[in-house]
Amino acid sequence: MVANNEQKGTLIENIAKFREVGLLGFIIILSVVIQWRNSSFLTLENINDMITNTAILSILAVGMMLVIITRGIDLSIGATLALSGMIAALTVGAFPNLSPILAILLGTLVGLVSGLILGAIISKGGVLPIIATLGMMYIFRGLTFMVSGGQWVSAHQMPESFKGIATGSFLGINNLILIAVLIYVAFYYFINHTRTGRQIYAVGSNPDSAKISGINHDKIIWLVYTIMGGLSGLAGVLWVSKFASAQGDTASGYELTVIAACVLGGVNIAGGSGKISGIILGSVLIGIMNNALPLINVSPFWQTGIQGSIILIAVVLNALVKRGVDMNALMRRRI
Amino acid sequence: MSEFVLELRGITKTFPGVKALDNVQFQLGPGEIHALMGENGAGKSTFIKVITGVHQPDEGQMFLNGKEVNFKNPTEAQKVGIAAIYQHVTCYPDLSVTENIFMGHEKIQKGTRRIRWKEMHEEANRLLKELGASFDAKTIMGTLSVAQQQMVEIAKALSTNAKIIIMDEPTAALSRNESEDLYRITEKLRDSGTSIIFISHRFEDMYRLASKVTVFRDSKYIGSWGVHDIPNEDLIVAMVGREIKQLFPKVETTIGSEVLRVEGLGKTGFFADVSFSLRKGEILGITGLVGAGRSEVCQAIFGVEPADKGKIFVKGVETTIQTPLQAMNKGIGYLPEDRQQQGLILSWGIDKNITLSSLSLISKKGWMNRKKEDEYANHLSKKVNVKTPNVANLVSSLSGGNQQKVAVAKLLMTGLDIIILDEPTKGVDVGAKSAIYEIISNLAAQGYGVIMVSSEMPEVISMSDRILVMREGRITAEIQAKQATQEAILEAAMASKESTEGQSLEASGL
Amino acid sequence: MDQVNKKPFSWKGFFLQWEWMLILLFLVVNVINTNLSPFYLDSVGLRDATMTFLDKAFMVFPMVMIMILRDIDISVSSTVALASVVMAHLYTLGVPMELAVVICLAVGAVCGLINGLLIVRFKELSAVIVTLSTMIIYRGIAYIILEDQSAGSFPEWFGFLGWGYIGGVPFILIAFVVMAVLFGLLLHKTTFGRRIYAIGNNPTASRFSGVQVDKIKILVFTLAGVMAAITALFLTSRMGSTRPNVALGYELDVIAMVVLGGISTAGGKGKMIGAIIAVFLIGFLRYGLGLINMPAQVLMIIIGLLLIVAVMVPNLKPKKKAKGKPPKSQDEQIAG
Repeated sequence: MVANNEQKGTLIENIAKFREVGLLGFIIILSVVIQWRNSSFLTLENINDMITNTAILSILAVGMMLVIITRGIDLSIGATLALSGMIAALTVGAFPNLSPILAILLGTLVGLVSGLILGAIISKGGVLPIIATLGMMYIFRGLTFMVSGGQWVSAHQMPESFKGIATGSFLGINNLILIAVLIYVAFYYFINHTRTGRQIYAVGSNPDSAKISGINHDKIIWLVYTIMGGLSGLAGVLWVSKFASAQGDTASGYELTVIAACVLGGVNIAGGSGKISGIILGSVLIGIMNNALPLINVSPFWQTGIQGSIILIAVVLNALVKRGVDMNALMRRRI
Repeated sequence: MSEFVLELRGITKTFPGVKALDNVQFQLGPGEIHALMGENGAGKSTFIKVITGVHQPDEGQMFLNGKEVNFKNPTEAQKVGIAAIYQHVTCYPDLSVTENIFMGHEKIQKGTRRIRWKEMHEEANRLLKELGASFDAKTIMGTLSVAQQQMVEIAKALSTNAKIIIMDEPTAALSRNESEDLYRITEKLRDSGTSIIFISHRFEDMYRLASKVTVFRDSKYIGSWGVHDIPNEDLIVAMVGREIKQLFPKVETTIGSEVLRVEGLGKTGFFADVSFSLRKGEILGITGLVGAGRSEVCQAIFGVEPADKGKIFVKGVETTIQTPLQAMNKGIGYLPEDRQQQGLILSWGIDKNITLSSLSLISKKGWMNRKKEDEYANHLSKKVNVKTPNVANLVSSLSGGNQQKVAVAKLLMTGLDIIILDEPTKGVDVGAKSAIYEIISNLAAQGYGVIMVSSEMPEVISMSDRILVMREGRITAEIQAKQATQEAILEAAMASKESTEGQSLEASGL
Repeated sequence: MDQVNKKPFSWKGFFLQWEWMLILLFLVVNVINTNLSPFYLDSVGLRDATMTFLDKAFMVFPMVMIMILRDIDISVSSTVALASVVMAHLYTLGVPMELAVVICLAVGAVCGLINGLLIVRFKELSAVIVTLSTMIIYRGIAYIILEDQSAGSFPEWFGFLGWGYIGGVPFILIAFVVMAVLFGLLLHKTTFGRRIYAIGNNPTASRFSGVQVDKIKILVFTLAGVMAAITALFLTSRMGSTRPNVALGYELDVIAMVVLGGISTAGGKGKMIGAIIAVFLIGFLRYGLGLINMPAQVLMIIIGLLLIVAVMVPNLKPKKKAKGKPPKSQDEQIAG
């Protein structure tokens, strides 16, 4: 019986592993099909475009993963991104000689503060994440319009050095990709090799036990929303630099794409599990689809619908797999 | 130095409406396996939670190696070497075994603050190997069986260098072989000097392991004995111990025609091959250990979690019951075991609770008639004698016994024929108990067919006309109440070696 | 029942109700607005103002029920868009307007039904994630149908919904009042409403009491879809045409009104009247701020703040009380 259980255990683990291999396989097949239909897909230029887009998406997905692991959700990140990007853009517009590094730090700081406030509302104020983040979405969006006076900041108002953040490269690698990889590595270390990182998983996996184990639940919740805010702020600067424009409605609705990337990457919406490798693959897949659908003559107006369907199908499939596993466990019980 | 590792004196703990522990004492010697026995609701779990710092006692003292201690939280108890393995395993299903073992006391690299995974995995594997486990420490916890998860919990206790380990019904969910493994591990722990408090409903566990036994009853300390110094019958009396006759006002009734029959009822993972019948005016007791599948069978009949095999006949007619509403329309009512979670809406008044399951009686085409509701509520709460000045008062303000009366009143509103009572006197004080027995007795006299699920042996024997005993999802005995003895019931409820083996073979053939 | 010793307590309880706070807030808003702008109390202005904020208020009624059920529906604004776009598109394809209106309502019902079915069939998924997905999907279908086009030029009678008057009173206001009465009665005077509260307070006990939890949830979500379609009718009529991005973000306004109206996000508590007061509170606030040329973004911020503060304030109170109580359910502690 014990041997049998062990086998079952590895089988389920295999399913979990299979998800990533399967995702990778799907990405490759999809790429081949798209390339076959339109040969301009796998050109250097297009690939570069895709990867840099995916870089921003995946940075946000890292933060969203942490939030979802704790059984939360953050719908305010599009607005946080816009606010940080706008403030950074306005600042470099006013001080063209400002170092791009400082601009990045400024944007990240704005995001951090936004996240700090949001985290306090959720952890200390006892407001459900969905309600709190909806409310903050409005507040941040409103603030973005107010600081900009409803105006755009366009390409010619930004110094070259600022636009260079997204277009420049270091050792031949695009800065955005470099930053994204740095984030992956840092967070991989954080969530796998530090006590606080593991506590995030513990809180999501079993909040009640976590309290008995002496984990400060509120602190962890506060922390993940603050991290999410900081990453949104960073992404805001990168976004504005890449598209060379800051608007009041920048990245409006982008939080949904980020959630789609997470769910697709195997982050369990019920909390407790999720991996960096998974969300990178999830982000890449979404990045490819957003880029490639127009290339194979799928109207861009289909994108929203397809994205929503992906989220729904992914969460429903996850639920069904979980049910199968539970049923197996029941069958094993001796009666 | 005291002769006891752990000693508790005069511990009292009260929850709103219930005295969970009443001036209780306990002594644990070094390297001793000490069985703590008592019926469900005797206060054992609360007692454990006091020792582990989950609850703080209202009165009393606790001594560890002769020194008085007060735990404000579970972490403090952990730090001085007290570990508990609970009935329901409290783990992190998404995390690895290693993490479950080391949660809260991870090995951290000085300076870099990095988790020393390699060392933790090695240590975890060493602990698991010591316990004879065959799985790797990197396995995800949620993929393990209950027995394996329990091993992890024990490994966790070992990893904190616990001097006192408390096991709360560890064998309840285990098979024969798995229990043997657990006995072996427990003895090994004892031999290495750990003291163990072992809570169990199985005498078998006690005789196999413990050297001393302490009995609690009705939140009180009854006594402590050397396991072999007290005859089994006396121990049972100590556990059960009240004057049975005067407590149970059973009325003689004439038993009529069959109202309910189930044939071959089964649900994967919960119960199998359950067949019995119930007649008008009869009280059918169903007993067995916690987890034997009694509630599951009743809930299947009531349509909460429908069975996936077998047939249900109501008054001779085969029926399918998929929802509680269907069951109620067929004349079946159910009093759930957990009245606070399943039976009542605590934040509502008595009146609204009583009428919830039969709103159609106080409404016309969906429109509520408040006056009628008031009448019904007043009438029924008087009928079961709920002690309250006003039926609009919140249920949460009532004592456990009165809450239970409200839950019973709910059943009396509609025209039912069959009433299933799941642990009707659980968590109810003795006075209210006898009031509830009277109600049950009257129900049978009025011609209801009553099924009473209960773990309390005297209650089952005195109230029932016929008794079914369940073990591990199957009916193992049917006994006429007049011939029933506690020993006979216990024997059927607790697995003897041969029959279990036979049973598991049978089940695997399914 | 009217004992003397009860009176002082009940006075206090009566006036400490959330609804009175709302009315007070409502008066404060009006006083401030009157001082800010001399045009505020102009009756024609006020009357016409109701037309601009009442369309989304139809969704408040079912949202009250959904939140009492301890669920949430953030897909309602997308349902508005889809129902509106389908109706307009069918009309431009030559379908008679009357039929298009019926189909609009049917689309709303189907959208809500799908939400309800998903939530009931997949209990492991929260209403948040289900309606989040359908929010994107419904909006996505609207985009697929109309792309970036707009559709409109409806027959004249259709404009009556959004612009018409009956006896000097805007038709939409009459419709709102009628609906408010109907929904108020449904929630507070019928067995259906009683069961909704029961589920919100304790879904398990409700199921054990024979309440058909799944059926009621599906019904309420379907109702939410239908009311979203009604919003689509009024909104489309007022605007004269529609686009796929119509009603964007309405769900937030609706949820804000419900939460501000005193409906607990923990379920089981709250009254219809509170949400109705909140509708006018936010509506008049918007109107007043509009009169003094305050940008719409300020209102966004105010609504966001109101939403969060409304949830936080009652949460902060019981926390102090809870300290004396045992942490978990009592039954768990006294068991065994």
